[in-house]
Amino acid sequence: MPRLHLGDWVDSGVNWLQSHLSWLFDAISSLVTGMYDGIDAVLSSPAPLLFAGILAVVAWWLRGLSAGVLAFAGFALIDSIELWDDAMATLSLVLVATIVTLVIAIPLGVWASRSKTVSGITRPVLDFMQTMPAMVYLIPGVIFFGVGVVPGIIATIVFSLPPGVRMTELGIRQVDEELVEAAEAFGTTPRNTLVRVQLPLALPTIMAGINQVIMLGLSMVVIAGMVGGGGLGAAVYRAIGNVDVGLGFEAGISIVILAMYLDRMTGALSRQVSPLGRRALAKAKSLTGGPKIWNYRPQPAVALVGVVVLALVAGGMGMFGKAKSADASNASGVGQGKKVSIGYIPWDEGIASTFLWKEMLEQRGFEVETKQLEAGALYTGLAGGQVDFETDSWLPVTHAQYWKKYQSKLEDMGSWYGPTSLELSVPSYMKGIDSLEDLKGKSGQFKGRIIGIEPSAGMMGILKDKVLKDYGLEGEYKVVDGSTPGMLAELKRAYDKTEPIVTTLWSPHWAYSSYDLKKLKDPKGSWGKGDGVHTLARKGFSAENPQVGKWLKNFHMTEKQLTDLEARIQTTGKGKEQDAVRAWLGDNPGLADKWTPVAKAGKAASGERMAPQ
Amino acid sequence: MSRLQAEHLYKVFGRRPDEGVRKLESGSDRDELRADGTTAAVIDASFAVEPGQIFVVMGLSGSGKSTLLRMLNGLLEPTAGRVLFDGQDLTALSPGELRAVRSAKISMVFQHFALFPHRSVLENAGYGLEVQGVPRPERDRRAAEALELAGLAGWEKSWPDELSGGMQQRVGLARALATDADLLLMDESFSALDPLIRRDMQDQLLELQQRLKKTIVFITHDLNEAMRLGDRIAVMRDGRIVQLGTAEDILVTPANDYVASFTQDVDRSRVLTAGAIMADAEAAYGTRADNGKELRNAKDVLAAAPVTVRADTPIIDLFTPCSTSGVPVAVIDDEGELIGVVPRARLLAVIGEPMTPAETPPRSTGPEQAATKAVASA
Repeated sequence: MPRLHLGDWVDSGVNWLQSHLSWLFDAISSLVTGMYDGIDAVLSSPAPLLFAGILAVVAWWLRGLSAGVLAFAGFALIDSIELWDDAMATLSLVLVATIVTLVIAIPLGVWASRSKTVSGITRPVLDFMQTMPAMVYLIPGVIFFGVGVVPGIIATIVFSLPPGVRMTELGIRQVDEELVEAAEAFGTTPRNTLVRVQLPLALPTIMAGINQVIMLGLSMVVIAGMVGGGGLGAAVYRAIGNVDVGLGFEAGISIVILAMYLDRMTGALSRQVSPLGRRALAKAKSLTGGPKIWNYRPQPAVALVGVVVLALVAGGMGMFGKAKSADASNASGVGQGKKVSIGYIPWDEGIASTFLWKEMLEQRGFEVETKQLEAGALYTGLAGGQVDFETDSWLPVTHAQYWKKYQSKLEDMGSWYGPTSLELSVPSYMKGIDSLEDLKGKSGQFKGRIIGIEPSAGMMGILKDKVLKDYGLEGEYKVVDGSTPGMLAELKRAYDKTEPIVTTLWSPHWAYSSYDLKKLKDPKGSWGKGDGVHTLARKGFSAENPQVGKWLKNFHMTEKQLTDLEARIQTTGKGKEQDAVRAWLGDNPGLADKWTPVAKAGKAASGERMAPQ
Repeated sequence: MSRLQAEHLYKVFGRRPDEGVRKLESGSDRDELRADGTTAAVIDASFAVEPGQIFVVMGLSGSGKSTLLRMLNGLLEPTAGRVLFDGQDLTALSPGELRAVRSAKISMVFQHFALFPHRSVLENAGYGLEVQGVPRPERDRRAAEALELAGLAGWEKSWPDELSGGMQQRVGLARALATDADLLLMDESFSALDPLIRRDMQDQLLELQQRLKKTIVFITHDLNEAMRLGDRIAVMRDGRIVQLGTAEDILVTPANDYVASFTQDVDRSRVLTAGAIMADAEAAYGTRADNGKELRNAKDVLAAAPVTVRADTPIIDLFTPCSTSGVPVAVIDDEGELIGVVPRARLLAVIGEPMTPAETPPRSTGPEQAATKAVASA
């Protein structure tokens, strides 16, 4: 069989689209971003408990008192575990994706129900969209739309579109043909047949489709978190990256609460809006007995008044809140409110250095946005200009592939920490195994397995192609591909039971402070010389921001500083990284001024000239 | 002028329907077309319906009767031929004009009622008016009137699924009547009802028709129903109209064995009339009355006959008189003139097997053969 270069064709197709249709993607991107920002602003402006109240009143109206109470309890829980903002970001993401999906899916479904050709064409396309693993869309999504919420939303739309289209088509096709004929026989126009007969009767099925769209959208938020989608997805992704079971559970339960709320509410809403459902509801109501208060449901008007009052109160409070924060951000400095975007992969040294820079730049008057990203998305975003810089590139070895692919669009700001090292490690209770050479002939102990990380990682290539060969371990050991969190979880499991284990690991890594591990010596130097941790910026960043560029180039951390900071962040807790950095900088006075020196008052004018806005 | 006229209607489904029509015109039959993958549903159907008439199309399933009905209001476009409604060629209208005609002048009643489940009875009855854009108060008033006509006063606020089948079809009928359309198309409208209710509905339709004088095209697979309701009946088989005539024509002179086999189950005594089976008055001349007196002329016959009836009297009314007397029943016209007689032997003969047309040989022999010949010669 000749090798078909399907992947290459797709790749060059994507490149062609990127260079020729960028105006279109930009337009879509700004539209979606605008929608997202708008909805997010509305959802996150009220005080959490007030907004929970609004949602509870809606639940009370749609499903009764118990649903209202449970809804309030659920949202209060989200607030109390400090994931409220994330939850609202996720809700906005899902709402935007749902709205866009429905705007596309319902007309398409209607069209497909009326035309066999359209139905025949859409069916395989929908199958393709639904079964293609969603991760596959993300990287082209990032290339087209840049990192952030947009590729996440687009991937969600692609993923959740099929049930919307299918259920709409099915619902309309299910309407008794005799009814459609009756409408036609009385001279109804096709449009009115659709509006007065087909859609009302198809409504329960269509609502089930909408429900599916929302549920699939929610299930996509975790994946959207990998490309900077933010929200609960980012929290889950961060938790996976750090093997943080607690945070993972908290974020997970928040997603469950959101999902249950949306599911039950859309289900109840479908009964409310469909004429047939309303009748069934009225019938059921007249049959049930029981305590009255439990079944009492406010009239729509009462519910509406309740929601409006709460919303007005919330709006008033939101205004005060805004006024206050406006005062607070009125800081001045070299940055003069200029926006800088830092991307990071949730690795410890990346988190530490990123939030260090966020804090220092904000002290200097910049407005800093941080985006947590998956490695591929981070480099794509950097090359595309949506991210200004990132601080965690291991060069020249580990991240060589990314550097090779994007170096023409990137600027290397130099290494701020090094050298790093790559190694295989075993727990210190593994007596007699101190060097790579000692592994030979001991594969029985380790069940012949070396626990690896992501197969795409640079060190995995070196391990398989060079290290094993040099030490004659080929064939005797099998490198298990997996993920960093998977490797760390396996390490923790084996360590707790003092079982034999050999894993790929690198320094600096917190595992060395958490567990008592031995780095296996590499007398033949197969791993090569260590990397430096480099800061990479998008092309042109230092020309536009010479001051920041200079700071970044001169930045250097010692091992003690880095591990101190990492430990501080670890103890302060997730979500408070910047607080930890601030405290750490407070304990180490002078560091900030050393790393980000500002010309004194007299020279301020010349400093500003150096940094054109 | 006829209210509704169908001229050489064809409906062919499948690829290249026009070619199918050409083949049919040049003598191919349905099976040959089916081999090409096309289906001829209606073949060369022509008929005329007069104002105030009930025109029944009778045929088994697959005979093309429903397709024919749907061409009459343009729900299906004929492959060839024309439909003239009040002289207007419906096949030449644009979709919009056709919809206007349908909404104002043609109503339809469906086999499975086709009521909108998301609308109340009143809203269902007013649907046609809603399409016409009649304002709400007038629409509700007229819909309520139509419901009253259909015998459903007081059920306006109910929902279709709360009604029995018969009542649902009354709503369907009210919906059709509410628009005041001249032409009512009824597609097996009573077939889904149980026999007693079906009979009720038939009676009510006839009663309404007395008052409203609509033009009705009624589709059925039940010949009894066809004969009860139809002023004229078209019998369809395999897409063609095989016989067109009154109920008596079809009973007395079925066009072929197929039609004849249908008529077997019909209660002939209620369908056939004295006028249809009577012999010439002369047939009675020369016979003797019960008292032995010879009947020489019309006056003698009138005097001796056990009963005198009109030509449209169903023959079921003749049995009792005939059993009491050997003298034939006398049939008179509006002026009281003798126009024919029904002898006892003939009365008995027509109740039996359907009479085959004169040109086809009778399938059975014996007394019936004589009766057949007698009718044929009459």
